[in-house]
Amino acid sequence: MKLKKLATTLGAFALMFGLAGNSLAADLRVGVEGAYPPFSWKESDGTLKGFDIEIAEAVCAELKRKCVLVEQDWDGMIPALLARKFDTIIASMSITEERKKRVDFSDKYYNTPAKFVAKKGSGLEISKSGLKGKRIGLQRGTTHQCFMEKMYPDTELVLYGTQDEVFQDLAIGRIDAQFSDSIAADDGFLKTDAGKDFEFTGGDQHDEVCHGPGAGMTVRKGDTALRDELNAAIKAIRANGVYQKINAKYFEFDIFGG
Amino acid sequence: MLTTAGVSVDLIFEYRDQLLSGTWVTIQLALISLTISVMFGLLGAWAKLSKNFLAQKTAAGYTTIVRGVPDLVLILLVFYGGQELFNSLGTATGLWDYVEISQFAAGAGTIGIVFGGYMTETFRGAIIAIPKGQIEAAVACGMNRLTIFRRVIWPQMVRYALPGFSNNWLVQIKSTALVSVIGLQDVVYNGFVAGRSTRQLFTFMFAVLMIYLVLTAISDLVLRWLDRKYSKGIVRSDNG
Repeated sequence: MKLKKLATTLGAFALMFGLAGNSLAADLRVGVEGAYPPFSWKESDGTLKGFDIEIAEAVCAELKRKCVLVEQDWDGMIPALLARKFDTIIASMSITEERKKRVDFSDKYYNTPAKFVAKKGSGLEISKSGLKGKRIGLQRGTTHQCFMEKMYPDTELVLYGTQDEVFQDLAIGRIDAQFSDSIAADDGFLKTDAGKDFEFTGGDQHDEVCHGPGAGMTVRKGDTALRDELNAAIKAIRANGVYQKINAKYFEFDIFGG
Repeated sequence: MLTTAGVSVDLIFEYRDQLLSGTWVTIQLALISLTISVMFGLLGAWAKLSKNFLAQKTAAGYTTIVRGVPDLVLILLVFYGGQELFNSLGTATGLWDYVEISQFAAGAGTIGIVFGGYMTETFRGAIIAIPKGQIEAAVACGMNRLTIFRRVIWPQMVRYALPGFSNNWLVQIKSTALVSVIGLQDVVYNGFVAGRSTRQLFTFMFAVLMIYLVLTAISDLVLRWLDRKYSKGIVRSDNG
C-alpha cells in the first residue's frame, strides 16, 4: 500500500518534469567539446564547427535521426555520458583499454599519429636518455599521458586541462616540448603565429596499448544497439563519399588511417 | 587588429554575444543562489537560536557539512551523482526513463545551499548582537512576535549582518564560476570556449576578469547604499 502511494507520488513528480522518455528515442543526443580546433570549436555567433561536428551531423543524417549537440567540458565527458546527459560522445575520444572498462566504443572514425613539438633547432632527442628530466606538456587524461608514463617514466610531465593551455605554455617556454595528436598540433599551433618558431620532432609515436586503434564514438556499456548503428553509419559515410568530402575541408590527407 | 599587451579588443567585440549571454547567466545564477542562501541562512539562524533540540542539531550538522566540503565537490556530486541516482530510481520503479536534472538548478541550488551555511553564521551573530533588553521592552509594550521581529529584530539584524553579508555575497558571485565544470554556459565557460576556439585564451581571460570586476563594483555600490539606509539614526564611533 505504502509502495503504491510512493509510486503515485513519484509518477506525479515525473509528469511535472514533462516525462520525456519516448521523444528522446528519436533524437540522437551527441556530446561534443567545442574547444579542440580543428576537430571542434565555437564561432562567435555560438555555432559549433569542426570535423567532429560535421561527422556527427553526417552520422545522424545516415541514421535518419535528429542530432542534438550537447556541449560538454572534456573532464566531465564520460561522467555526463554515464549520467545519460547524452547518448554518444563524438569528440575525438581515443579508443583505449582503460576507457573500455567504463564505456563502449564504435569502430574508429579516424586515426592520426601522435608527435612531439619543440622549438626549432632545440636538438631534443626523443629517447629515454634524451627526454630524461625534460618537462613535457600534454593534456591530462589522454592517450598521450598513458604513452609518456609508459615509455618515458623519467620524464617530467606537465599536465593541462586543455590542449590550448599546453600550446600557451610551450610558446612562453615553461615546457621543453609538448606531446599530442599531430593534427591538433599542426592546425592548433604550428600553423599559427605563436607556433612559427616550433617544429615536429622525432617522427610518429605509437603504442598499441596506449593509443589503441584511433578515435571512436563512445556509448554507454551495453548500448550495443546504438554502437552497431554508429558502426554501420561510419561504414556508410566512408562508402558514399560523405566522409571524404568532410575530410577534404579540414585536412590535406585521409585521416581515417590504415 | 587592435592588440594591446596580447589582448585583442576586436576579438572580444566579435564574441560579445557569447560573453554577454554568459554574463547574464552568471547574474541570474548569482541572484537566484543568493535568494536561496538568504532563505537557508535565516532558517539556519532561527534553528540555531531556537530552544528546539532537533532544530539546533540539524542546523549545526548543516553548517558543519556545507562549510567543510569544497563547493566544487558538492556541485559535481549533485550534478553527476544526483543524476545517476535519479536515473536508477526511475529505472527501478519503472516510472521514468530519463528526466534531466538541469545544470542551472543543480548549480544555483548547490551554491545557494553552501552559502546558506555562511549566511546562517552571519545572521546568527547579528541577532545575538541585539541587546536582550530591547526585546524584553518590546514584550512589555505588548508587541506580538511578528511585530517584534519586524520592528526590533529585522532592522538591527540587517545592520549588524551587512558587513559579513557583503563578504559572503562577493565570494558567492565569484563561486558561480564553479558551475562551468558542469557545462553551464556562464561567463567563465563561454569565455574559455571562445579563448580556445580562437586560440586567444589570454584575451578572453582578461575580458572575463573585467566583467567580474564590473559586477562586484556594482554590488559594492548597492551594499553601501543598504548600509547607509539601515544605519539611519546611528552615530558611528569611527567617523566611518
